[in-house]
Parts: sequence; C-alpha cells; structure tokens
Amino acid sequence: MFEEIKKLIKAETYFFLVTPAFIWQFAFLVLPLIFVVILSLSQGQGSHLVQSFTLNNFYEIFHFSQLRIILRSIMLASTTAIASLLIAYPVAYFLALHIKRFKFFFLFLLSIPFLINLLVQVYAWFFILEKNGVINHALMFLGLVQKPINFLNSYFAIYLVMFHVYLPFMIMPIYSSLEKIDTKLIEASYDLGASFRTTFWRIILPLSMPGVQAGFFLVYVVSFGEYVIPSLLGGMKLFFVGTLISEYFFIGKDWHLGAAFICVSCGMLFLSALAYYWLFNKITMQSKIMR
Amino acid sequence: MELRLKKILLPLYVGIFCIFLYLPIIILTIYSFNRGGFPAQWTGASFCWYYELFHSVEIWRAFQNSITVAICSAFLSVLLGLMLVYGAKKLKTKISYFFYSNILVPDIAIAVGMLSLFSYFMIPLGVITLIIGHTLLGLGFTIPILKSRLDELDHRLVEASLDLGASSWYTFRYIVIPFLYPALLVSTLLVMIVSFDDFVISFFCAGSSAQTLSLYVFTMIRSGISPTVNALSTIMLLISSFFVLAISLLQARLAVHDEKIS
Repeated sequence: MFEEIKKLIKAETYFFLVTPAFIWQFAFLVLPLIFVVILSLSQGQGSHLVQSFTLNNFYEIFHFSQLRIILRSIMLASTTAIASLLIAYPVAYFLALHIKRFKFFFLFLLSIPFLINLLVQVYAWFFILEKNGVINHALMFLGLVQKPINFLNSYFAIYLVMFHVYLPFMIMPIYSSLEKIDTKLIEASYDLGASFRTTFWRIILPLSMPGVQAGFFLVYVVSFGEYVIPSLLGGMKLFFVGTLISEYFFIGKDWHLGAAFICVSCGMLFLSALAYYWLFNKITMQSKIMR
Repeated sequence: MELRLKKILLPLYVGIFCIFLYLPIIILTIYSFNRGGFPAQWTGASFCWYYELFHSVEIWRAFQNSITVAICSAFLSVLLGLMLVYGAKKLKTKISYFFYSNILVPDIAIAVGMLSLFSYFMIPLGVITLIIGHTLLGLGFTIPILKSRLDELDHRLVEASLDLGASSWYTFRYIVIPFLYPALLVSTLLVMIVSFDDFVISFFCAGSSAQTLSLYVFTMIRSGISPTVNALSTIMLLISSFFVLAISLLQARLAVHDEKIS
C-alpha cells in the first residue's frame, strides 16, 4: 500500500511540475480575460459589480464616436507596422547577408533600442519636440522661424515616435529569419543567371517571410493597444484605443462600458489581423511566380 | 548599378538609420549634464542634476520598488518556466505553446482584467500585485527560450545517465541544469529588463502606494520636462545597456560553445 502511494507520487512528479505555471497562467491571464467578458455583459455598481446580465453596454459601444476611435487605432497600427517593415527590411538584409566582421557589435547596437525603457524614449522625443525644446531652439537660432512651433499634441508627434520605438521590434525577427537562409541558394540563383531582382523575389523574400510576418504582427498588435505614446504626446485630445480604455477605467469609472469596449476592439483587432494574414499569404504566392 | 547599390547606398542607408535610432537618446544624455535649468540652452557642464537625483527620497523608493519587483518576478518566472518546460517534455504534452500567447494578447487588456479581478476580490494593489503581473509577462519570455534550449538537449545523454544508475533528480541536477544554464541566465536577465521597462501593467496594477521608476518618469513627463528626469533617464539607459551587453555576450558565448560541441 505504502509502496503504491510512493510510486504514484513518483509517477506524477512531472504533473506536479507543470501545474504551478499553468495555475498562474490560468488565474492571472485567462480568468481576468473571462472576467472582462463577464463585466461587458453585465451591469451593477460598487460591491455588486455583477448584478444582472444585459447587452446594453454593447449597444452603447456600437456608436459612431467609439468605432471611429477603433478605426483610428487600426490606422495607426497599420501605418506603423507597414512603414517600419519597409524601412527595417533593408537594414536587416544588410546585417544578415552583407556584414561579415563586427556582426556582434552591430547586433548589440540594434538591440539596445529594442530593450530601452519606453518611457525614456518618449521622454527623449518630448525633450526634442517641446515648445522650448531642441528643434525649436535650433530653428530660432538659425532664424528660420520667429515663434516656436508646437510639434506636440499632434498626429505627427504620435506617428513619429511610434515609428521610432517599434522599428527595432521589426528588425530582430526579420534578421533572424534572413540569417537562417543558406547562402548557397542565393549563389546558385546568381550562377544560373538570375538577376538580383529575380533572386530577391523568388528566393530571399519567400524564405524570410516567417520573420516578416512575425515582426509585422508583433508591431501591429502592440501598437494597436499602445497607451503611453498617445497619452503623453497626443495631449488629452487625440484618443486611441489604449487611452480610451484607461479613461473608462480611471476617470469615467464605468467598468462595464470599458470592458465592452475592450471586447469590441479586441474583436476588430483579431479580424483586421486575419485580413493581413490573408494578404501576406497572397503576397507570398505572388512573389513565387514573380520575375 | 547593383554593385553600387550594395557597396555605397546600403551602408549609407543603414548609417542614417542608426543615427535616427540613436539621436534622441544621445541628445537626452548630453543635456543631462547641462548646468542651466532651461532645457535647450547649453550653459556649461555640471553634475548638479545627478547630485539632486541621488538626494531625492522619492526616486530612491521608486528604484527600490523597481529592483524588488524585477528580481522577484525574474526568479519566479524562471523557476515556474523551468518546471513547466521540463515537466511538459517528460509528459510529452504541448502545453508550452499555451504560454506563447502572453505576448500576443494586448497588454492593456491583461492589465485591465487583472485590475478589475483584484479589486473584485478586494486584493490590495501594491508590490505583490506588480510581481504577479510581471511574472505573468515573464513567463511569455522564459518558456519559449527554455523550451527551445531543452529541445536541443540530446536525449541519449539523459538516458545514459539514467542507465548508469543516477536518480532522476541527480540527472536533472548534473545533466539538464548545466545544459540549460546559459538559457536560464539569459531568460533571467531578459525578464528583469522587461519588468524594469514595463509600464502598462505597472500603471494599472500598482495602485497608489507602490511607485516604480517607469511610473515616476511618466508622472514627471506629465508635469513638464526637467533636467533631473534627463539625469534619471541617462542612468536608466546605462542600466538597460548593461543588461543588453550581458545578454548578447552570453548568447555569443553560447553559440561558440555549441559550435565546439558539434
């Protein structure tokens, strides 16, 4: 009997190894997300947060002003992701296939901005773009403008900083997939008489597609819910999904509406990501027959 | 044409790119040594803002909180991640992929969900809830790293050790852990830096009592720019770069080590 219990514990050791992390994940990721869904479907106040179930929150969220904010965030995320993809690809290409010496140094140089505190980066831009910041000071010193220009609290500032912050997120995945390409394939393509363009479209791009997709969706998802940059550089006028959520939870104190808004915007995010996924598959198919 | 593209245009492009990436940070660092309080006017070098920084009680407290949360969540997420990865491998389940989703869910949704759950169950917000949140974030980083390293372990080594009479604990301690060691170090450092840099989860789960450095910088930016924040940012930059250097050195050594083995 005793032996059997001992055996059971020994046989189930690995089960007990797995459970703590699983419970952690369930309690602090799955449960909160389920709770958000419950909140969005209910109404109530104070200690009776969930009193009765209703769909009213969703009726209120499906309003032109809220949907416009979601569309604005989709615009922001798409622009950031596409622009940083186009700009980052040549850099990753250069790093992976052209640099032979000092590779370690270049990688180090590019991974610092990847892991720098977001707030520090935003502050640096704040410092440069502010009314009596560096750019305005330089412009006035050169006599180009008389009065300082207000760069902050505008779409320009938000797009610029988003773009700057998320560029490194794009380089790393593309770099790692480009580096895995067997250079013999590229050489073979050249030897067989293909031009650089053909080689790029038919060998390099299809093989680096996994990295491109990983980088794109990483940037897309993260910049969709971005809170810090719009709230600090957009003033309190330009609302995006992230800022509106915190508005619902901290200032409006209407958690049910906020939860409904999260559900709707996550749904939209998922649908738009699916659309991009479909588009990427199309591009890959096209590039394989491109010359 | 093609040669020119490769030889001149591409390096030039990468150079401009690097300048764009680094210019804001460099300007920020330079101006942290500015003596005058007025932001964009250079009035001579001094360390006065650093002096002021080190004498601020509030910043020291925020720094303490940041360090505590970073260390605790790194330890917890690496421990939990190691247990899960090893157990999942032995059980032959694909449960590890479940944890890849932590990076894919928008963190503001996680943060808001945690906030509402904590306040529904009357759990007071503070350092503990911060550690919980950051450990969750960290699991999304440690598990992929540890899993990919563990998959590289030659299974015959483990079997040989067991055949020669070692207990499973002894095998784990003297075969698996030494093999995973660099990955363990890398993921610890990575979680520490992610926790140190995190803003959104901290913003929602910290409450009013616990302030971290990120939150402190946020409130300072809200109230306008000041040279003390420049100094603080420079120090945070140094800390981050130190971590990045350690991580990339470790990874480079790991690559060399693996080449030797094969």
